[in-house]
Amino acid sequence: MRRFLNSDFFYAFTRSPLAIVSLLVVVLMVLSAILANFIAPTNPFDAASLNLMNGFTAPMEPNMFTGETFLLGTDDQGRDLFSAILFGLRVSLFVGVMAVGLAMVLGVLLGLIAGYLGGWLDTLIMRLADIQMTFPSILIAMLIFGVARGLLPAELREEMAITVLILSIGLSEWVTFARTVRGSTMVEKEKEYVSAARLIGLNPWQIMLRHILPNVLGPVLVIATITLALAIIAEATLSFLGVGAPRTEPSLGTLIRVGQDFLFSGEWWILLFPALTLLALALSVNLFGDWLRDTLNPRLR
Amino acid sequence: MTETLLELKGLEVTFTTRRGTLKAVDDLSLTVKRGEILGIVGESGAGKSMTGAAIIGLIDPPGRVSNGEIWFEQQRVDKNPESMRGRQVSMVFQDPLTSLNPLRTVGDQLVETILAHMDVTKAEALQRARDGLTEVGIDPDRINAYPHAFSGGMRQRVVIALALATEPQLVIADEPTTALDVSVQAQVLDLLKKLCRERGTSVILITHDMGVIAQTSDRIAVMYAGRLAEIGETREVLTNPQHPYTQGLMASTPSVDAKSFGQELFQIPGAMPKLDALPSGCAFNPRCSQAHARCQTDRPPILADRAACWLMENAS
Amino acid sequence: MSFVVARDLSRTFNLSDPWIVRKLTMRPKRLLKAVDAVNFEIERGTTYALVGESGSGKSTIANMVVGLLAPSAGSITIDGQNLGDASMSRQEQQRLRRRIQMVFQSPYASLNPRWRVGDILSEPMRAFKLIDGATAQRKRVAQLLEQVGLSDSDASKFPHEFSGGQRQRISIARALASQPEVIICDEPTSALDVSVQAQVLNLLKSLQKEFGLTYLFITHDLAVVSTMANKIGVLNQGVLVEEQDTEDLFTTPREDYTKMLLSSAPKIDFDS
Repeated sequence: MRRFLNSDFFYAFTRSPLAIVSLLVVVLMVLSAILANFIAPTNPFDAASLNLMNGFTAPMEPNMFTGETFLLGTDDQGRDLFSAILFGLRVSLFVGVMAVGLAMVLGVLLGLIAGYLGGWLDTLIMRLADIQMTFPSILIAMLIFGVARGLLPAELREEMAITVLILSIGLSEWVTFARTVRGSTMVEKEKEYVSAARLIGLNPWQIMLRHILPNVLGPVLVIATITLALAIIAEATLSFLGVGAPRTEPSLGTLIRVGQDFLFSGEWWILLFPALTLLALALSVNLFGDWLRDTLNPRLR
Repeated sequence: MTETLLELKGLEVTFTTRRGTLKAVDDLSLTVKRGEILGIVGESGAGKSMTGAAIIGLIDPPGRVSNGEIWFEQQRVDKNPESMRGRQVSMVFQDPLTSLNPLRTVGDQLVETILAHMDVTKAEALQRARDGLTEVGIDPDRINAYPHAFSGGMRQRVVIALALATEPQLVIADEPTTALDVSVQAQVLDLLKKLCRERGTSVILITHDMGVIAQTSDRIAVMYAGRLAEIGETREVLTNPQHPYTQGLMASTPSVDAKSFGQELFQIPGAMPKLDALPSGCAFNPRCSQAHARCQTDRPPILADRAACWLMENAS
Repeated sequence: MSFVVARDLSRTFNLSDPWIVRKLTMRPKRLLKAVDAVNFEIERGTTYALVGESGSGKSTIANMVVGLLAPSAGSITIDGQNLGDASMSRQEQQRLRRRIQMVFQSPYASLNPRWRVGDILSEPMRAFKLIDGATAQRKRVAQLLEQVGLSDSDASKFPHEFSGGQRQRISIARALASQPEVIICDEPTSALDVSVQAQVLNLLKSLQKEFGLTYLFITHDLAVVSTMANKIGVLNQGVLVEEQDTEDLFTTPREDYTKMLLSSAPKIDFDS
């Protein structure tokens, strides 16, 4: 820990207001998502606690029937929007982090294999990546999502929706990881410490995982952060299009989709607040990712 | 021939980092006479390349020339480094590929450089470019070849032609032959020496290699930890070194003769101190076998116009 | 029979374009003969130096002798055992590997920057199952560090905390950790400063005396081997052009190429 506090990296962090603010926003959002149960005034998805009379209450104004006030207002079913956003944030972040985790593990492993072993495996993996890169990743995600839904029995669809969402976003984002890791692996494997490891008879897996992996992780961290912003937006897009998180477990994207139905009837808050939350989240993750990239590895620019 | 071309007075180059200020070059004074080849020798971190960069005004932030003066042809130039570059002073780097643009022919680059610095027509510039190549031993018909078509030694010849094309007064050559094979190294050094002698161009030859210095330079300045350790006529310094560091360097350099076969090499204990952990007094004192109490407290100036060592005090 | 024997050692590199490109452009295969039928023998406990300029094939030979690269033709035997013997079991291969180690050229690239020195040094002990148990390994690491002139507290540091010369010492300690009999030194001092170079060369020499090591010393610098080698082979474009005992090579070189190398080495000599 002391080494970290003394590092140039930490020093650069303390000197960058942008990095501090964006990380602060991210941490705040992650904390409120994790602690949603305790922060949220109501459980928005407990049907028993909903009062239809509370529907369409404007922010900070007492409801004309019940007299209750809601910080950010309510939606059509009288659901407290502030609570809904906290829970939606949780779903969005969970899907984003898990999807990036999946993409990272997959991409790093395939990148290591392609870069270190080379040959036909390299060709196969990288051509696959090339093909995937020719489609927008949201299309890939929709394709995977559609196939998975078709394969699943109807009664499981609702239950597995989040898992399928994670899979489809994760599988559509591995390419960047694989390409970067392959590139750095090809540089690292020419270095003499790898020769030294071969000299004592380590097998390729030991060399890849114990020796090369720690040396290619720097850029991976940066890409993971930037991809997290992409994944959160992809999730929101899918949910907005109605092929993502179900209404029983709404993410920010689902809330935005619901909200847009009421935009032109004057209930602007139902759309605006989830959208602002998504914007703040994606923007701060992205800004932090950009700062990480510039600080850790200016060459990635 | 004895007129002074370049004079450094108390040159200091510092780097400001968050952990403090590091002096990469510390109170360096020396002169280069017209037509003279001055060798600056030292190990990595001695500040020799920094000195070259300071003269030509190529030190980038966070580094800067923080003290001292640089005089060129009786004019002070450290306040206005741009006036130095190009026509007056040119530079030869270790890696020829850093000085040559890989996407343009060597002829283009030569002509462009000549046109930028000299008042000549395009035809004259082309003729000069061809002459320049001939002089460095390259067939002028290869003027339209790209840098990658040349071998390492040939490329360095092109760089020398480029450096001399504008008829500079001073060439700063920073490890010009370190990347080359020995057989090629000798040719390139001889060429540099011959061309500069013919034109009366002064050269500052920066290198870590005592052998290269011995064969090429008239005078030699030995640097250690950013400071000047010893300066003098090459032959004098190398055959009769006064500073214990120079003595150690000479003794630890293996030579190509059977006399040394099987013998243990002399070694200087320890390593050059990092710039943020310089010892007080003489920077060399922890490694010096002849150090005494004063060496640990007072930094020696250059004594008897020769060496920055307290041992010289009695001699002078 | 000598301890290390290279017989008709050859290595060809295939620099051709991929098959499909070759067929389309109708260009023939491009083969580079980096090493061409090289023979040499090294007696146990002595130093043999291979000297050559860039492109002479000296590093290719080094990589073949340690087994990082397979020869295209010819063979290498160490203590009578053929390195390329395909019938060897994995155990036998590991046993042979342990006896041949290498010290590399770059003090920066040869140590994994993310590993602590202690881990770097104990890895060979684990890989060859030489020493069991963390305590015993730590003890051996301390001993190795001391043998190369470092202190046992250095075990917990990372490579970037050391100077170039110290890193080269760590690299030597790692080679010693396998308790090898042959060490291939591939330009071990060409990236070091003169005063540090002398330290490393002297260290290599004293270790040779202490452990009876056999060295194959690869270098471009004749001056460096004048103090190190018993016998010198001069390589030019993959061919061994001359081989003599060190003293004889310096006093009576036979080949023009050797003479050229000797005369072009920079000398600090004002008598002539």
